[in-house]
Amino acid sequence: MSNTTIRTTLRSDELSCPSCVPKIEKALLALPGVEKAEVKFASGRIEVEHDAALTDVDALVNSIAKTGYAAKPSAF
Amino acid sequence: MFSAIMDIYRHPASRRKWLTIASGVFITIALVAWYGFGLAAPWAPLMTIAAVLAGYDIALRAWASLRLRILSIELLVIVAAIGALFINNHWESAAVTFLFMLGAWLETRTMSRTRGALKALIDAAPVTATVLRDGRTIEVAAHEVQLGETVLVKAGERLPVDGEVIEGTAAVNEASITGEPIPAEKSPGSRVFAGTLAENGLLHLRATGVGADTTLARIITRVEKAQEAKAPAQRMIESFGRWYTPGVFVMAIVSYIVTRNVELALTLLVVSCPGALVISTPVSVVAGIGRAARAGILIKGGEHLENAGRITALAFDKTGTLTEGQPRLAEVVALAGQSKDDVLLWAAIAETGSNHPLGRPIIEAAQAQGHLPTAESLEEIAGMGLIARHDGYEIAVGSHRLFDHLGIGFSAEAKDGIARLHGLGHTVVIVARNGEVVGLLGLADMARASARSMIDRLHALGVRRVVMLTGDQRPAAEAIAKAVGVDEVHAGMMPDDKLDRIRAMRAEGLRVAMVGDGINDAPALAAADISIAMGASGSDIAIETADIALMTDDLGKIAEAMEISRATLTNMRQNLVIAVLTVIGLLIGVYTGTIHMAGGMLVHQLSVLVVILNGMRLLRVPKAARARVAVVRGERVAP
Repeated sequence: MSNTTIRTTLRSDELSCPSCVPKIEKALLALPGVEKAEVKFASGRIEVEHDAALTDVDALVNSIAKTGYAAKPSAF
Repeated sequence: MFSAIMDIYRHPASRRKWLTIASGVFITIALVAWYGFGLAAPWAPLMTIAAVLAGYDIALRAWASLRLRILSIELLVIVAAIGALFINNHWESAAVTFLFMLGAWLETRTMSRTRGALKALIDAAPVTATVLRDGRTIEVAAHEVQLGETVLVKAGERLPVDGEVIEGTAAVNEASITGEPIPAEKSPGSRVFAGTLAENGLLHLRATGVGADTTLARIITRVEKAQEAKAPAQRMIESFGRWYTPGVFVMAIVSYIVTRNVELALTLLVVSCPGALVISTPVSVVAGIGRAARAGILIKGGEHLENAGRITALAFDKTGTLTEGQPRLAEVVALAGQSKDDVLLWAAIAETGSNHPLGRPIIEAAQAQGHLPTAESLEEIAGMGLIARHDGYEIAVGSHRLFDHLGIGFSAEAKDGIARLHGLGHTVVIVARNGEVVGLLGLADMARASARSMIDRLHALGVRRVVMLTGDQRPAAEAIAKAVGVDEVHAGMMPDDKLDRIRAMRAEGLRVAMVGDGINDAPALAAADISIAMGASGSDIAIETADIALMTDDLGKIAEAMEISRATLTNMRQNLVIAVLTVIGLLIGVYTGTIHMAGGMLVHQLSVLVVILNGMRLLRVPKAARARVAVVRGERVAP
């Protein structure tokens, strides 16, 4: 883990079927500097560990939007 | 205009909504033209447009998944829809894509409402805080408040941080943390929590926890972890789902090769996602745990939900949960021909000069009778009692030891009375006048008015044995237990004794829940089938370690937790049955030719919706609980 790696929590209200979980996870992991991406279907929480210098929070949100889901960063 | 359309396009949810509506409009026009006016010509082009509109977003998603090498349900639907266009079945193509979009839209909405129990909690934390910096008030983001800083909270505002009141008083509604609708009075020194609501007053707080380090944030995190924890049934279903979709895909190809029936193959593709099945258990768990959290009950996952519903024995330590926590005057015994009123009055005259905790209920009871004169002189004998002078009398009030010390003897009548009161578990206060014992006062920590009905409710829920394990003296514990209907009392227990009792009950085949405060009772809690922490709102350890954490000291919450657990389990089973029947029914329907593409999609989407709506039922507060809240509110208004 480099020292610019941060942990970001996003929330989406639009996960209606667990089949979207691997889609979003793979899309996030395909971004540069994303080390870990976990989508929790039950709560709609998306946890990402990423290098903020390579991929910032906006890039995460955009990447999720491209798979067809809206997500917002959250404090916890 | 153009930028407005681009905004809609960029936001996935609104794009889907408008595409679905547009698709529906074209389908409606085609249907009206055909059935209303007998126009056949517009049918195929209109249905094709509808299919393209609804299919556009499905195709986008299918493509996004395909690039990530995922065989998605969207891909199957879009293949089926395009296939239907090629065999000139425009209606099926439009209906399948439209129903898929409409269903997904409804499912998203209902699913987010199912998660909504927690959303209310997340939204309870305000975004900004008013802090006092350099003598001026400024507004900052709630998570940027510094620890130790002074935060101002006005009437009607929610608290942005955890803290301690340093100035002001207010009635604070803590329902978001405790589920308790009656506001708590807060004054300097009180602990307060982020997300609670100041109903009046003005508070100055010293911030002790901000952002993710607040009780509210910890509760939310715990609840979400609990919702995310997969129940065994869910894991099984998910692995089933993983081979089911490719399996049906293969079936579609094989069926086409064998029967050369394109429509059959395409229909199989449409029904290949076991949507209702994969969603059946998580929906119930999310709704059940969310509903419990709203009532101040943290259930730490599906597994505990299952255990909580099957409790057959409940052991608890906290005598305080059954009692008012303050001694009250339970009985006055008059001796030597005196009246009860006089005995109480004399005792109270002596007690007015003391601030012993046993004195207050005596004074209050006497004041209720009428005027209470003050003693002319008073001598306090530490650990024994009081000697007062009033109106020419010498009044001695205290324990057995005071009278031994003074050399005052007891009549047979007095001895009987003392023994009887002790037997009831009362603390006995003896009253003498001019060297003669004239009466006895029995003081006791009385059972709460609601304790009896709480225990009855537990029994009604199938808890065969409610057991009190306490370190208290036996008579006091037994008296309270008897009064409220506890089945067994074990008094004078050390932590190891409690552990042995729990083990013994488990050996008898009972499913034991242990209620404790999470630290002192650790061994017994660990040995029980399910551990319950009470009054956890202030204690992070309790929230972290117990299987179920109740935010208030209310035994009634255990019954509520059991009820919610059972309702959730029943709900989960119903959902599984609905889902399995749907999958079987669809496959049979497709192979017997009774279900075609549009019908298959309709049944599939309906089954998903039914499963979510069924889960949502758990969020409703049952009638009985609503009535209880109303009663509590009514009492509050009355005085």
